[in-house]
Amino acid sequence: MSTEPDQNFRLEQACASDESIQQVHAQLQKTKPEKVGGYPLLPLGVLGLMCGAVFFGSIYLAHNSIRFDPLVYSEQASREKPGAIKIIPLTRAQLGKRVFDTTCIACHQATGLGVPGQYPPLVGSEWALGSEERIIRIVLHGLNGPITVEGKEYNNIMAPLGEALKDEQIANVISYVRASWGNNAPEVTPEAVAKVRADTAGRKTYWTAAELEQVK
Amino acid sequence: MNFTDTNGRTEQMEIDASAKWPVLFIFTHALAWLIVGGALELAAAIQLHTPDFLADCAWFTHGRLAPAAQNALVYGWGFNAAFAFGLWLMARLSATTLRHGGWLFVAAKFWNIGVFLGVAGILAGYSTSFELLEMPRFVTFLLLAAYAIVGVWSVTTFSIRNTENVFASQWYLFGAAFWFPWLYAVAQVMLFRAPVRGVLQPVVHAWYVNGLYGLWFVPVALAAAYYLLPKILGKPIAHYYLAPLAFWWLAIATAFAGGSRLIGAPVPVWIPTLGTVANFMLVVPVVLIGLNLFGTLAGRYASLSGSMTLRFVFVSMLAFVLASVCNFAFALRGVAETVQFTLLYGLRDWLLFYACFSTAMFGAAYFILPRLTGHEWRSPALVRIHLGATVLGVGLLTGGLAWAGWQQGRLLHDPAVAFTDIARAMTPWLAFRTGGLALLLLGHAAFLINFVLIACPVFSPGTAPAQINPPPALEVLKA
Amino acid sequence: MRNGLALFFGVFAALVLSWAGLLLTAQRQIGRLSQFKDPADEILYPQPMPGLANQGRLVYQDLGCATCHTQQVRREGFGSDVARKWGQRGGYARDYLRDETVFLGSNRLGPDLRNAGNTELHPYADAGYFYQLLYAPASVTPGSLMPAHPFLFDVHPVAGRQPSAHALRLPSRFSPGPGLEVVPTARAQALVAYLQGLKDTYDYPVERSRNAPAAQPKEGGH
Repeated sequence: MSTEPDQNFRLEQACASDESIQQVHAQLQKTKPEKVGGYPLLPLGVLGLMCGAVFFGSIYLAHNSIRFDPLVYSEQASREKPGAIKIIPLTRAQLGKRVFDTTCIACHQATGLGVPGQYPPLVGSEWALGSEERIIRIVLHGLNGPITVEGKEYNNIMAPLGEALKDEQIANVISYVRASWGNNAPEVTPEAVAKVRADTAGRKTYWTAAELEQVK
Repeated sequence: MNFTDTNGRTEQMEIDASAKWPVLFIFTHALAWLIVGGALELAAAIQLHTPDFLADCAWFTHGRLAPAAQNALVYGWGFNAAFAFGLWLMARLSATTLRHGGWLFVAAKFWNIGVFLGVAGILAGYSTSFELLEMPRFVTFLLLAAYAIVGVWSVTTFSIRNTENVFASQWYLFGAAFWFPWLYAVAQVMLFRAPVRGVLQPVVHAWYVNGLYGLWFVPVALAAAYYLLPKILGKPIAHYYLAPLAFWWLAIATAFAGGSRLIGAPVPVWIPTLGTVANFMLVVPVVLIGLNLFGTLAGRYASLSGSMTLRFVFVSMLAFVLASVCNFAFALRGVAETVQFTLLYGLRDWLLFYACFSTAMFGAAYFILPRLTGHEWRSPALVRIHLGATVLGVGLLTGGLAWAGWQQGRLLHDPAVAFTDIARAMTPWLAFRTGGLALLLLGHAAFLINFVLIACPVFSPGTAPAQINPPPALEVLKA
Repeated sequence: MRNGLALFFGVFAALVLSWAGLLLTAQRQIGRLSQFKDPADEILYPQPMPGLANQGRLVYQDLGCATCHTQQVRREGFGSDVARKWGQRGGYARDYLRDETVFLGSNRLGPDLRNAGNTELHPYADAGYFYQLLYAPASVTPGSLMPAHPFLFDVHPVAGRQPSAHALRLPSRFSPGPGLEVVPTARAQALVAYLQGLKDTYDYPVERSRNAPAAQPKEGGH
């Protein structure tokens, strides 16, 4: 025992030899504590702790591992079988956003307001919100020449997108325009686009505003 | 040398003699890294509240300096200290000398060259960006080769042991000796040699970091505590029959606990859940180890005042409990939501590495070095400075980081708070951290001076040799 | 434990259990995760990183940006990541297929960068913004902890009467002085290309459905 009360801290004396440490502890490992009149509480307490840890651990694992699904990252996800979970589809408008962001945003801008004097706005535009036939034709074959949008004159070229985009993409992007920035017009289906594409199959030139006004 | 003593005593001096030069050699490197790493860490800490500090030089930009400091401390100080202590203790408890110690010099040199190249590589821009694995790839083989020598020496010493009985410290050292090379090699292969795809990389990384702290540093610290307590108090470990259970439970639970570092991450949710469950399970071994260690100290707290080693070991034990509480708390999803990515995670890791492991190594060093060198510590004042600086520094750092981390977490959680406001809230507490690190560096310097005085033969003429009394046999007290 | 062999096997088993149970299982599950082909536009997502951005990734790695920045967006409802406009949704494993090295990060001394280049969330974040941020963070966010990276830039006298095309536009307090201009080096350009390429905009339908919160929290029963 370090009975030296001088707190000199020069040398630490040992109070037990290595051999005896090993011998004594090997003995202690084999013998359980003596039951001194009654049941020893500690081993019971330890047992209780172990069982508690395993129990609560298992419950937590069952609740929060979501069937060990490799594609689930949220512990609040549904614990049903993957097959039983319906794919939640995005609306056409939501899907169309991606097309808009890659194709239309350069001219018509992210706000849909266009550039004054250059590119017409889509917000509140009678061309976008009006007849399906007109807007689909514009997207398919492009637009050229003077056009009046919301009382203002524009004279520019819109490139045709019928070759670059599929029917579904065109339907999506038009639906997006019709549902964004306060616009509220019914969505357009791919079938409608396909029908217009078939109707105008031979067309190779841009539309003009005058021609489109003939279309209902 | 008194050969008429019992066999045991002669062997002990022989063992110490055989271990002397390898252990001193390794420990010198350890201390050198402690100072260098500590200085780098201090510089990195200053950068946190004074971003302009050293920002002009690409070598010392914070993104390179902080990892370099951490790697220098962990692989430089941490591993060297663990090697030195582990080799000596394994030899002592196996009651056999450390054979062919010359190879250990080679191993130490390789290891330290590797760490030096690694740290320099990080500063030069070859970092891999995975925390604690930032050292560039060319260093891996050097480190593994050096470790192989040390590991094989440790395990072989164990296998040729002259004792029938295997003590708890030996289990922990044996375990640590096996676990580290596996962890390191698997991590290197799965992250850099044949990299896994996508988010699996952070999964492997979390497994490695958790294993490094929980299956290498903590076992070595526990080996020190389990040995030094009965050795100095002369009282056997309390409730020792629980120790094997604690060892196995700790091993298995810690191996899975890495997932809790990935709560909320884009990895399959069962991984962090498993990590949290493993952390729940870790309560059991922590309680058992606490019973073992604190039970042994129970009623003997007065002896702390007379023993420098025990004081350090006591700090280590307290830090172990605190770190385990942090581990448990941070594994709970609700707490992790606020606490993740803040300084609190760093605090938990630092508590494990410095406050638990490093203080245990300091305590062990104060016990071992007089026996190896045959001299007493020259300056008790420096020992006191080291002790006081450590306690104060640990307190400052823990308090500062805890408060700063909590503020950071709270403010991060509120989306309305801008980042500049968060920075402003943290800055005063980060200054606490810098102050704590400076204090710790001061303590380390005191230790270094004492070490040089005791180990360097230049300073020994004129000092009395250490009078190491033969220790009595341990008594088994009737509980 | 007397038997050294028993100790060895136990120690070995403890680690192998976690290696197999955690790492191997995870590898079997998502180790072969592949890109998803969108049925409408028939593009594979996530789209791979362009060449300069890939080089920038290496600059990000070597400068240790992952020390202070994370690149993981936690789902809505768990933390304030989405509310802070660090992402439009929580991250999925598939998002990280485009990253050769995943910088998930573990420290948020600075904001999360997973969607740093997402101009929908951060319309102000163009190349000039990033250059200015790297050269003099205090000019963009005063009081920030981020260190300046002047070594990524070249300060030289203006040749002729006009500054060069890539020269940074800096507030007067941070500009190097009259007649001098700050031009990004190749490393800075690569790094900024990488940052601008950081965006996870595609919403994978399978992950979105499987991760949607359960309809009814079941009280009591499982």
